[in-house]
Amino acid sequence: MERIEAIGARSVGCGMVGDEFNRQIGEEIHRLMSVQPESGSSFIALLELPPNQAMELLVHSPEVAVVDNANLTLSGEQFGQCPPLPPALPPIFPSDTALVDRASKFSPIANSDEVLTSKLETVKQEPLDSDSNPNSNSSPAVSNPAVDQNPKSAKRKDREKKGKESNKKSKKPANETSEDGGEKLPYVHVRARRGQATDSHSLAERARREKINARMKLLQELVPGCNKISGTAMVLDEIINHVQALQRQVEFLSMRLATVNPRVDFNFDTLLAAESGSPVESNFHGMITPSMWPEVQLHGNKQQYEQLWHLDGLHQPVWVREEDNSNFITPENSLLTYDSSANSAPLHSNQLKMEL
Amino acid sequence: MRSPSSLKQEFLKTWLKGLQVYTSTKKKMSILERKKAIKLSADIAMASTRISTSSWSRALVAKACNASNSILVEHVLGHEAHVLKKSPKNWMMAMSNKRIRSKKILRKSCTTTRKMRKKVAHVVDEASLIAKRLIMKRTKVLKSLVPGGEYMDEISLIKETLDYILSLRIQVDVMRHLANATEKMDHGKGYN
Repeated sequence: MERIEAIGARSVGCGMVGDEFNRQIGEEIHRLMSVQPESGSSFIALLELPPNQAMELLVHSPEVAVVDNANLTLSGEQFGQCPPLPPALPPIFPSDTALVDRASKFSPIANSDEVLTSKLETVKQEPLDSDSNPNSNSSPAVSNPAVDQNPKSAKRKDREKKGKESNKKSKKPANETSEDGGEKLPYVHVRARRGQATDSHSLAERARREKINARMKLLQELVPGCNKISGTAMVLDEIINHVQALQRQVEFLSMRLATVNPRVDFNFDTLLAAESGSPVESNFHGMITPSMWPEVQLHGNKQQYEQLWHLDGLHQPVWVREEDNSNFITPENSLLTYDSSANSAPLHSNQLKMEL
Repeated sequence: MRSPSSLKQEFLKTWLKGLQVYTSTKKKMSILERKKAIKLSADIAMASTRISTSSWSRALVAKACNASNSILVEHVLGHEAHVLKKSPKNWMMAMSNKRIRSKKILRKSCTTTRKMRKKVAHVVDEASLIAKRLIMKRTKVLKSLVPGGEYMDEISLIKETLDYILSLRIQVDVMRHLANATEKMDHGKGYN
């Protein structure tokens, strides 16, 4: 990062020369732009590969290295006063890995990764890729018209950018491959476009906004019927509605559970006893399942329930008795008594598991 | 995050534990009381499954602690309870401190940018201002919906909302299945 800024500053310094020189640079820039798409496509092609493979390709493949070298030597000649950069570009990569490591710590997306669920991660890949591609390709599109419109001031900025880009060129592929692995470098993502402020505050603000946008996209994917809406306010509306609907549903369901059966809690307790797995219960379980479950699997749901409530009917008196008991005993004792009725419990738990 | 089915099972287990507390303590309850108890225990159970990773769950548990349901919370959370008993307050303190600090910073930055903004004021159009206001209003509503949302900044609010929605879905799913099961059983018994 620092190095890039330094080089940018240098290119500004050498920008204090005649118009003739500027024109030359403009032509050179055009030429460079015409080269760009080809190398850009190779970057995109690299995006498809897994990171380590792409890295290998970058280091070893001659064509990419040649393109980079050509760009670099061109810009080096053009700037004249600037001492030409060392032609040995591939050796930049080791230092790059350090940079990648450091940047991954600051990367806004890297933090969010730890939170996201596995389900969400597949969703997340999409926005990232769609983000990174326009970003890497948009810079030429932005800077090209600028040359035509406003030759002097735009050119200087342009050249500044050029200086950055030609130096970055060798890094860019490495960065994008690291993006493929789920990481994102801040200066690719948060890079200042033309006319944007570059001080640390606005950069941080921009990073924050990007982070919020990425998460909003995730939320949009999560909430049904939300991904067609544009506009943050509308999306927020939908999210609020969804959350409220879910909360109301919880209220409603708890009401339903409360009204269904005064004995509901009791059922739950026997279920819990089944889950905790006492030896008595497992014995009963072994005794009951062979006779019960084959039939259940053969018959439909209704038969299953019929059989269940037959059993329930049989055990009803036991439960009532227990209810009477538990009025007088402490919770510790009640657990034991629940275990005694555990022969009905496995059925409930099995049934529930099937439901789930 | 684990698979949803394991989360569901864990939720069910903790929820039943919470319900057991009620059945063992109070026998006679009105329907409304029972509903409240069921909902509270379900909420706490859901929070307990996500307590290590999310702050909405901690806020929920803290709220439940304050509402004199500490017996239930302790019972549901078990060994985690004594760890958490201090943490909710600490967490609240930390969040409020953060909030104050960020407010100070905000004020400072506002004063510095106000001078600049006067120049650019005519550039900022009405539409974007309105949009900003709309978003602010909705963010406030969302903050009131997500437990502990008042103490979050926007980024963590969105993150927590994501988590919260997922958990709520699991909760609704489990509860619906349970309600269906018990209703069908009841229905059968009614005929008998």
